[in-house]
Amino acid sequence: MATNVLICDDSSFARKQMKRALPEGWDVEVHFAGDGVEGVEAIRAGKGEVVFLDLTMPNLDGYGVLEAIRREDLPAMVIVVSGDIQPDAQERVRKLGAMAFIKKPIDQEKARAVLTEYGILTGA
Amino acid sequence: MTDINITEDQRDCYQELSNVAMGQAADRLARLLDAYVVLPIPKVNMIESSELDMAIQDAEKDTAVSAVCQGFIGSGIAGEALLLFKDTSFQDLAALMNYQGPLNRYGELELLMDVSSVLIGACVHGIGEQLEIHFNQGHPVVLGQHCMAEDILRSGNHQWTKTLAIEIHYTLEHVNIDCDLLLLFTEDSVVKLNKVIDYLLD
Repeated sequence: MATNVLICDDSSFARKQMKRALPEGWDVEVHFAGDGVEGVEAIRAGKGEVVFLDLTMPNLDGYGVLEAIRREDLPAMVIVVSGDIQPDAQERVRKLGAMAFIKKPIDQEKARAVLTEYGILTGA
Repeated sequence: MTDINITEDQRDCYQELSNVAMGQAADRLARLLDAYVVLPIPKVNMIESSELDMAIQDAEKDTAVSAVCQGFIGSGIAGEALLLFKDTSFQDLAALMNYQGPLNRYGELELLMDVSSVLIGACVHGIGEQLEIHFNQGHPVVLGQHCMAEDILRSGNHQWTKTLAIEIHYTLEHVNIDCDLLLLFTEDSVVKLNKVIDYLLD
C-alpha cells in the first residue's frame, strides 16, 4: 500500500524541491500543506504517515506542528527539513519528537539516506 | 526601459533561497556568539532605489543604527549587502564576543565589522551557492555610526532605479541584539537572476 507522505512548507518552490527529492520507486501518495495549520489538519486526516516539515512558516510554525502532534498523539513520523541549521534548532525539534533533521537545500541523496537510516524506505 | 518585475513564483523562489542562505549565516553567528538566532521569514520586494526605506518596517526607521555596506559581483550579477545594526545592540554584542576594550566608536566599529563579515559573507555565499554563482565581495564600507536608519537608506547614491530588495531581520534570543540585513540587486542583475530562477522553477 502506498505510504501517505505530507510535505509541509510555506514555499511552493520548496515543496516542489522536496517532491523531486523523494526517492524514485518509493510507493507514495504525496500531499501538500502550505503552513502549519494546514499541516496539522492533513496529519489528523491521515495524510501524514511520513511528514517532511519546514520550521519557519506563517500561522503555525514547525515547532507548533510538532507540539500538536505530541499533544494529540497523532501518528506521524516527522522529518524536519529546514534552513535553520543552528545546533539549537536541531536539538529543539528532536526534543519535540522529530525523528530526523535534514538541512536545506534538500536533494535526493539526503532524503534517501535519512529514509533508509530509519527503515522507512525498504526495497525501493 | 521595460519595467522589471518579478512574478509571484519567482518571489517565492527568491524567498526560499534567502531562507536557506539566512539560515547558514545565522548558524555562523550562533556559533560565534554561542546564542540562538531567531529566524524570520525573509521579505522580497521590487522597490524604487529612492525608496529603500520601504524595505524595512516603519518601526525600524527612526532607530539609531550603525551601517556597513559591501558590494558583490559574479556571473554578471551585481548587488550590495547592507547591514543596519541597532546601536542599542552593542553592549550585549560586546559581552557575547568577550570584547574587553572600551565600547567607544572604535570599539563598536570593530564589533560591527566582525558581525557584518560573518552575516554578509555567509548570506551572499549561501545565495550564490544555490544559484551556482561565485560572488566576489568588495571591501566593506562603513556608511555611518549612530545614524537614523531612514537617513542611511535615503542617502544611497545608486546608479539604478529599481532594485530587488531582500530583507532579513535578525534578532537573538534572550539578548538585546537586533539588526537588518538587506540584499539589493541591480536592475540589470534582476533580469539575469530571473532567468536562473526560472530554470530552478522549471
